[in-house]
Amino acid sequence: MSNPPRRRDTHALGRRRFLTSIGAAGAMAALGAPSIGRAQAREVKVGYLLPVTGPLAFEAQLALNGLQLAVDEINGAGGVKSLGGARIVLLPGDTQNKVELGNSEAARLIDQGAVALIGPFSSLVAFSVRQVTEKNKTPFLLLATVADNVLEGGLHYTFRMQPNARAMATLTLGNMSEMAKNSGLAVKRVAIMHEDGNFGTTMGNYVEAFAAKMSYEVVQRVPYNLRSPDFTAELSKVKAARPDLLVISGYYGDSKLIAETAAKLRIGVNALVGLANAAYSNPKFIAENRELTDLLFDGNYWHNPQSARARAVFEAYQKKYNSIMSNHGVQGYQVMFVLRDSLERAGSTDREKVRDAIAKTNLTDHILTQDAIRFDDTGENVNATPALLQVQGGKPVVVGPARFQEAKPVFPVPKWKG
Amino acid sequence: MTWLFFQAVVSGLLLGGVYGLVASGLSLIFGVLRIINFAHGAVMMLAMYTSYWLFVLLGVDPYLSILVTAPLFFALGVVIQRVIIEPNRAAAEHNQLLLTLGVALFLENLALVLWQGDFRTLRVSYSGASFMVGDVLVEVPRLIAAGGAVLVGLGLWGFLRTTDVGKAIRALSEEPEGARLVGIDVARIRGVAFGIGSACVAVAGALITPFFYVAPDVGESFNIMAFVVVVLGGMGNFLGALAGGFIVGLAESLGAAFLPGSLKQLVVFGLFVIVLLFRPEGLFGVRRGR
Repeated sequence: MSNPPRRRDTHALGRRRFLTSIGAAGAMAALGAPSIGRAQAREVKVGYLLPVTGPLAFEAQLALNGLQLAVDEINGAGGVKSLGGARIVLLPGDTQNKVELGNSEAARLIDQGAVALIGPFSSLVAFSVRQVTEKNKTPFLLLATVADNVLEGGLHYTFRMQPNARAMATLTLGNMSEMAKNSGLAVKRVAIMHEDGNFGTTMGNYVEAFAAKMSYEVVQRVPYNLRSPDFTAELSKVKAARPDLLVISGYYGDSKLIAETAAKLRIGVNALVGLANAAYSNPKFIAENRELTDLLFDGNYWHNPQSARARAVFEAYQKKYNSIMSNHGVQGYQVMFVLRDSLERAGSTDREKVRDAIAKTNLTDHILTQDAIRFDDTGENVNATPALLQVQGGKPVVVGPARFQEAKPVFPVPKWKG
Repeated sequence: MTWLFFQAVVSGLLLGGVYGLVASGLSLIFGVLRIINFAHGAVMMLAMYTSYWLFVLLGVDPYLSILVTAPLFFALGVVIQRVIIEPNRAAAEHNQLLLTLGVALFLENLALVLWQGDFRTLRVSYSGASFMVGDVLVEVPRLIAAGGAVLVGLGLWGFLRTTDVGKAIRALSEEPEGARLVGIDVARIRGVAFGIGSACVAVAGALITPFFYVAPDVGESFNIMAFVVVVLGGMGNFLGALAGGFIVGLAESLGAAFLPGSLKQLVVFGLFVIVLLFRPEGLFGVRRGR
């Protein structure tokens, strides 16, 4: 009887109606201008599955903004050329972050003719939805879905552009230890605190496995309940173990409380490092906690600050939504361009052909911190790389890997060493 | 390693005070209405948002906001009881229980519509204030929260013992039939009890906003712990709930400091099951003849 099931039905209908009317307006416009030619009226339907209402609504909306920005850009530049300039139309699907809704919404979107689905912002929902998409032979591009096992089991239609949990954990720690080595301060003792759900536990396991390989010691591993109102005892335990690094994999409120308490306890580490942390590279968190967040690290998916295209995209986003594009916005934007690239090469809206085109993706014109986007047989992006970020001057900057570096890292961080 | 022990004890006690106040409200409502109020945490959340907005919009200090939120949520509690729960007195107990669950879900969703799902934190000048006693960290806002919670709890206890309304509440919770027979307006008293219980979480909510966050599901952290505390302290036992708060806070904190992994949760909920099995009337409860 503890956690009552949370269901939130808020402005979904409003948005849906809004989108329908936009679609209708588009169709009217197309009908009203017959001289442009029949091909112009063609549409490619792409379904998104996002928890646009419910507890993840805020973050999901940011990803949706990214998707929409990409769709506008594609349509504005003449649609999918190999399909006679067909416009991409987004079909909305709301999962409310619930498994059963994910399944029914996926089935509905497929039924309405979506050539591919994008989503669903949760590994648990993805785990279930993939059965629907596989059965219906519909390409499924994962968005904000980190658990490794989502792609296990010989899937044919499911692809993941972002780094999975293993890449996230091992590459972040790899970046971190390389940086430490460069500063002449080898990392020997690591403590990890992670929320005790699937996400945090997976990260914790990889940190432990990677530590064994890199021959440093995990001196404390502290799983915690993300709703805990106090972490003083946990952090005191960590402090007593005298680690060089404290790695934290958690959500927003818990990560904030941990950083605050660590500061007050004078935790005495070289750095606090977030791992796919929901707070430490989050612009809102940083803006609200300037002093606390200064020089925090976070390993997370990000955009390439060296890319001119990324800068242009950020400007367009700022203009359209009047806020800074978040990393989920970047993911949404980029995954839509992966699909566009595939549609161009497929030259067809046949799901099977689109799937084959996605599988052959080799996209170098992108805004991520990685080499070409390519998928292996299991559907993972083989080059997916998280960036190592550090908050400097009130914003997260890329400090690793070296070839994407925006600024030199500050390490060790004096205030944590205190 | 002794500082770790003392640190854990101090953090546990500071947290326990807040648990105690939340739980005393729940316990009071249970004592009088004989229902577990699932909406307790949601009411707390709403009160926290009220304190939050009072600060953000009008610059009212969260501690001062209690002067507004306590009466406001007392009134809200009375209304919830009168309008939603009282008409269903005749229904089976599980129906009333589901009703409070419904209220909880409604309030959480309302908060989500009004203020979205993101976390909000309130920055006051003393948010980060802390001092060291030897090697032990004491955070000022947590100290104030625990101290305030205990004061309010004891004040209420005095109110229950000395005033007519307080005595009526106790009479109703100890002997409902008798209370009716001596002419107590039981419907009114039930409303008052629900109101006081809601005011308790409003105070608790205001006390923790300086160091915690506000989000639509924030009440759940405290709601679940409050259930455990109420069971430990004895259902309907007001002082027992306050004491139970400290026990749970300590168990949680010491568990976190000295046990590996997520075992601290196990300690708390293990305690809960064991008490239910061997002492269902609670650690401080009196065995009833019924």
